[in-house]
Amino acid sequence: MKPLALVLAVVFFIVAILYLVGVLQLGVAHPGGRHVSHFVLFAVLGALCLVWMRFQGAPATRLR
Amino acid sequence: MTWWQAMLLAVLQGTSELFPVSSLGHTVLVPALLRWTFDRSAPTFLAFVVALHLGTALALIAFYRADWARIVRALLASVARGQLSADPDERVGWLLVVGTVPVALLGVFLENPVRTLFGSSAIVAGFLILNGFVMFAGEALRRRENPLARALPDLPWPAAAGVGFAQGAALFPGISRSGSAIVAGVLLRLTHEDAARYSFLLATPVIVAASVLEIPKLLAPDAHGILLQSFVGAGVAAVTAYASVAFLTRWFESHDLRPFGWYCLIFGSLCLVLALAKVIS
Repeated sequence: MKPLALVLAVVFFIVAILYLVGVLQLGVAHPGGRHVSHFVLFAVLGALCLVWMRFQGAPATRLR
Repeated sequence: MTWWQAMLLAVLQGTSELFPVSSLGHTVLVPALLRWTFDRSAPTFLAFVVALHLGTALALIAFYRADWARIVRALLASVARGQLSADPDERVGWLLVVGTVPVALLGVFLENPVRTLFGSSAIVAGFLILNGFVMFAGEALRRRENPLARALPDLPWPAAAGVGFAQGAALFPGISRSGSAIVAGVLLRLTHEDAARYSFLLATPVIVAASVLEIPKLLAPDAHGILLQSFVGAGVAAVTAYASVAFLTRWFESHDLRPFGWYCLIFGSLCLVLALAKVIS
């Protein structure tokens, strides 16, 4: 799962940057220009994937 | 927008954002009933709405400040440790993260198209009636199927994501964010008290993020004329939101959603009749 988390993190960060610079316009309300909310969303998802990756490195803990 | 209108909107926002009766629905229906004619898409009005949301978010943070302090501390500790523990605050923190992701995805991608398609008074009134039925259905199903309640930290991860998706239903004007999250919570065997707590905690990052991202609208040159109204409105919204969450957390200790369901059915039906009769538009 660790490689998957890393790949997802990289993908999310790339998508975030593409929204920020205005290259990606998928699913936006007003095409053209930067999309800060989309950038923030994907940047946070990327960061969460990095956290997930960090948890994969620790010994397994049985939780509920 | 006059001062009277601004303050009434602030009270309406602070109250209806947290009561399970749809703040978005009320900000469409009440101005229509009162025949207010200001442009709801004007930059000044949007800036004012941002200020009201900031006020509501501040009230939620203030009310749950002790919870948030414990949750954030536990989350940071688990990230530093690189391992999950059995700490209930840490578990609630990650449940909030899991629940926030779906609602953030739905909000960012679907908010504008949904609100553009379903913005008329008749449709909003219809959704408000549906919101009432959802609360009655949730209560009926809970009584039939979920006799044993569980504590919030015992909520499974998929269930937390499910509550987040349910909260996304509030993109439809007339469907309540807190109402849909509380109904989902009680159907997943949380008590009303815990379902409401999870709903309010879950709403906080969403409202804060949405408000902070819109702050540029508040600082735009067009908005300078209503800066004082926005500031006072944010304060009024914060006070009413704080009072609302204080009331609701006590209410759900011993009551359920049905009174709010009745309110949505009655008010929604009244507005639907008026909209179909073209008395309101």
